[in-house]
Amino acid sequence: MNLGNFGIDLVTLTGSLEIKLREVKAAGFSQVMLWARDLAEYPAGHEAAIDLVKRSGLRVAGMQVIRDYEGQAGAQHDYKTDLAKSHLSLCRAVGAPLLVVCSTTNPLPDDSERFLERDLRKLANLAVPMAVRIGYKAVPWGRFTRSVQDAWDLVDAVHHANFSLVLDTFHFLADQSSVNVIDEIDPDKIALVQLADFSVFEFHNRAELRDRAIHMRVFPGQGVHTARLAEILRRIDRIGYRGDFSFLIFNDDYHQLPPPFALEQARRSVKWVTDQVLRRSLPLRVPDRAR
Amino acid sequence: MTSAQSLAVPANDNPIAMSGIEFVEFATRAPDAFGGILVKLGFRAIASHRSRRVYLYRQGGLNLVVNADRDTLDGLDLPADQAVLNAVAFRVEDAGRAYKTLVESGAWPIQTRAGTMELNIPGIHGIGDAILYLVDRYRDFSIYDVDFQYGESPRHPPASIDGLHFFGLVHYVDIGRLDPWIDFYRQLFGFTVLPTGQSFGILPKGVILQSPCKLFYLQLIPPDENALWDVRWDERFARLAFGVPDVKAAVTLLGARGVPFEERESFHATEKGALTQNLYGGMNFEFVLSRRDADE
Repeated sequence: MNLGNFGIDLVTLTGSLEIKLREVKAAGFSQVMLWARDLAEYPAGHEAAIDLVKRSGLRVAGMQVIRDYEGQAGAQHDYKTDLAKSHLSLCRAVGAPLLVVCSTTNPLPDDSERFLERDLRKLANLAVPMAVRIGYKAVPWGRFTRSVQDAWDLVDAVHHANFSLVLDTFHFLADQSSVNVIDEIDPDKIALVQLADFSVFEFHNRAELRDRAIHMRVFPGQGVHTARLAEILRRIDRIGYRGDFSFLIFNDDYHQLPPPFALEQARRSVKWVTDQVLRRSLPLRVPDRAR
Repeated sequence: MTSAQSLAVPANDNPIAMSGIEFVEFATRAPDAFGGILVKLGFRAIASHRSRRVYLYRQGGLNLVVNADRDTLDGLDLPADQAVLNAVAFRVEDAGRAYKTLVESGAWPIQTRAGTMELNIPGIHGIGDAILYLVDRYRDFSIYDVDFQYGESPRHPPASIDGLHFFGLVHYVDIGRLDPWIDFYRQLFGFTVLPTGQSFGILPKGVILQSPCKLFYLQLIPPDENALWDVRWDERFARLAFGVPDVKAAVTLLGARGVPFEERESFHATEKGALTQNLYGGMNFEFVLSRRDADE
């Protein structure tokens, strides 16, 4: 693990795309996770946004996010396929090697479950000529795939080299999933690990979980689940995962402050992960602004 | 993940009822110069497209298309003195059905560009900028009869080398992309990975996939681990390989016609195979020991 493996999900930061990219670089990070809307909402147009990202000198670790893709039939399936293709085209244009897909939350009929593998395999195939890997992630309020175990079972069943798992530490903490599943996972089939702790001890129902998930995440080392989070990270490290980590912190506090505040928390969090959890000291690059 | 693991789920044996290669297409801004190379290899220019700068070359049962059409070239990042292997047409039982099967499984359809009274040949996007066409009219009726105007030379010139056939295509894949491409070919078309150790010709790198019809091969080559990291390694078709029953005889015959072959220590011609030198704009051709009835 080294600092080059740690990136920031741009949803964590405030400000325009220019400011986010500039501040991430100034804080010493070399990679980011983009959202399609970072490009789509750019005032000068998505092509200018792509150009901006390419000139930033930052590596794009991947792009967020396709939702409610799998399990649909007929015109809805065709619509979602077209949408996925547009996402893939954006990934190719901006040089994002990974597209994150969240498990569907649509209230689909029970028998839709038979379409999941077929649809996800199709997405994996669509992504191959675009030089993009698909990373699949469970969301706890998903229709069929809710836990890391569910997502891993589906990745295993889809069985396509272009289809991998995205782990979000938040989900282990949120629903108290057993961390033992990590030992089952082939580390080469993990496309990305998204890092977050959060600031509440437990959730009473899925609605509350869903609501808090997008408001009360904090950086690892600053939440109330540090011991459990440390156990998760050690297990991921122990199975041999050496890929990217991305701080994905939806937090209302950070969204009221300029990016350097959150980025400073991110730097501390890297140090917590490497020194406290994995006991690997590593030199942090001196931020540009401090020179 | 290894290739062997990718193979655990068997695909349908031949989901699009593939039956070999109908034509291989090259794109170039200099069709005459590139065509001159094909003539040295024994091909004859026999027809021109009715509405575009596209030319058909043939010998025996092998068709090569040289595409210098402005619309095609505009879509490619192709310098003036280069040629690229731009498209491959697979013979299939029913092109419409094959197209539907592929698109339902996650292939990207190409935009149709057929003009009035021209054939609309369905196709999907392949590696790099390449197109994979699907052709079902190759028995009683030929696709070329509609779109091409024949010249005065014979329409069916014999093969200049006995037993010459399409053997396979080589393509480059980027770092970490070998297994995704294997699964792409395996799941969409039913290609199978040859066991490690089984190889052909003189360049046994990468992974070899056999077509579901067992009539040709794809060789997927990732960058050499020892290669410099800043070497540009575009994902693309790299070259076409012909099968011949006697490589040495073919090398002698073509050498006499002015086709130079590589003589370097690492890949000089042997009875197993031979590689031409760069014949035009980065394009070379491979000859591989292989026996097959010319009509297959």
